[in-house]
Amino acid sequence: MRGTMSDHPNSLMKESWSMLATYVTAIILVFVLTFHLLLESPLSGKSLDATLTFGAATNNLTYYQVVFGLLLLTAVIHGLNGIRAIAVEWLHPKRFRLVLNLIIVILMAFFLAVGTYTLVVVG
Amino acid sequence: MEKVKIDVVRTGGKRATFELKYRKGMTVLDALIEIREQQDSSLAFRHSCRMGICGSCGMTINGLPGLACHTQVSELKTDRVRLEPMHNMQVVRDLVVDILPFFDLHRSVKPFLMRKNIAERDGSDREYKMLQEEVGRFLQFDYCIMCGLCYAACPTAALDPSYTGPQALAQAFRYMADPRDEGWKERIDLLDTSHGVWRCHAAGACSFVCPKDVDPAKAIQMARVEVLKRRVLGKKGRAGSTLITVTEPASRKEGTKAPPFDFPQGDGR
Amino acid sequence: MTEAKRYKAGLLPSLNPLGFNVERWSYALHRATGVILVGYLMAHIFETLQLSGGSGAWSNTMNALHSLGPLEMVGLWIVAGSALYHGANGIRLILNEMFGKLMGKPILPVYPYSPTSLGRDQRVAVWTITLVVLALWVWAGMYLLAGLGVV
Repeated sequence: MRGTMSDHPNSLMKESWSMLATYVTAIILVFVLTFHLLLESPLSGKSLDATLTFGAATNNLTYYQVVFGLLLLTAVIHGLNGIRAIAVEWLHPKRFRLVLNLIIVILMAFFLAVGTYTLVVVG
Repeated sequence: MEKVKIDVVRTGGKRATFELKYRKGMTVLDALIEIREQQDSSLAFRHSCRMGICGSCGMTINGLPGLACHTQVSELKTDRVRLEPMHNMQVVRDLVVDILPFFDLHRSVKPFLMRKNIAERDGSDREYKMLQEEVGRFLQFDYCIMCGLCYAACPTAALDPSYTGPQALAQAFRYMADPRDEGWKERIDLLDTSHGVWRCHAAGACSFVCPKDVDPAKAIQMARVEVLKRRVLGKKGRAGSTLITVTEPASRKEGTKAPPFDFPQGDGR
Repeated sequence: MTEAKRYKAGLLPSLNPLGFNVERWSYALHRATGVILVGYLMAHIFETLQLSGGSGAWSNTMNALHSLGPLEMVGLWIVAGSALYHGANGIRLILNEMFGKLMGKPILPVYPYSPTSLGRDQRVAVWTITLVVLALWVWAGMYLLAGLGVV
């Protein structure tokens, strides 16, 4: 009899925790992303070209380092968790769920590392 | 409308078109029975009660899941009716699908009352009493006829064959909300899996097609709230005590009379 | 379900909302915009990394992007629309999924049926989001596509 696809009994992370991470990062993202877009929008008083100059970009990253750090963290977690959800549904891995989770965690760590490097060097 | 054309997707993807004389009040099931009796006796489809209570005649009617007995030809607003098997299920023959895996999903959520004291459950000499407002918390979800239309409509079920499905998840919540049930802990673990309640994305297609207004989308979101409360807030106890209170619960003191209770009703259309 | 072939199941059917309720359309759009945004996020992280290489590296990156011509701004416009829709609809989904709001209460069904989860509250939210996002997207389009810079 086939039933619900039970996770491994010793799974360290119940699906509810990963979904909670998705929800919490989503709420934070709404605020930090709005802030980020407003910085680049006409409402900041600058033209689009002016916001894309080296000076303007590095200034933003320096002055708002914490906000951009939060943006990086929440965007990577939320985005890659979403990709994981699509992968779980589309590929519905039976034996390789752990492999999928590991791949996602590695990708998260990679993009977080790249983004953090930028923030540290520029900031 | 004088004539109606019924296009049926048959086994192997072949299409067969039948033409019938339209009669006022004709349902899709009436048309199929007439086709089988007068034109092609090999046409296979399920039906039983012909009154929208058994859930046997589910199929895809002009692109949407529906009960053949419950769908008037006139309400489709066209004289061309396209019939296909229900989506997301394996076809047995013509419009008949393999419904057993769907029933397996239902069984997997343990759709029965779980009591800790088995002797008391099996040997009790009295019924379990419930207040009307306690019944009101889950009664809507109890009207499910297991027709499978919600599963056929669900986008996650289309993508993920391991997904528990809206019907089973709604029934899991129905039992969680039942004040007589003591199996909330087991049900939370059944729901909180990779292919359980978290794979629902609130598309609402299940509630859109449900012929009995069971509103599985609502049940699933309420189930998610319960799962989150227990995992995150560490709340214990059955769902019934934390759900939306329909009215003020009556005192349980012996001899106290419960206040009169009016079920909140759907507003119809 | 077994891995045997299920009728009209799969990725494309799951994203096909034809004939269904507006919430199913919003599911398909939410998924599509999410994928677009993840793709953009990954590219954007690498683009921003060029800032650490100094103004020369950054200029090269900007020139490479400008060489795409109108595609650059059209692509940004699509990403902007995706972000607007995904964020706004996401708020509605958080209310639905995390708090159980906009779904209505359990009722006694009365024929003809009208599920409360697809009722007035939900529809008002869906259409408000749609209209607000469309308005902001048009504004973003004027900013990005028409070269209107300063307010």
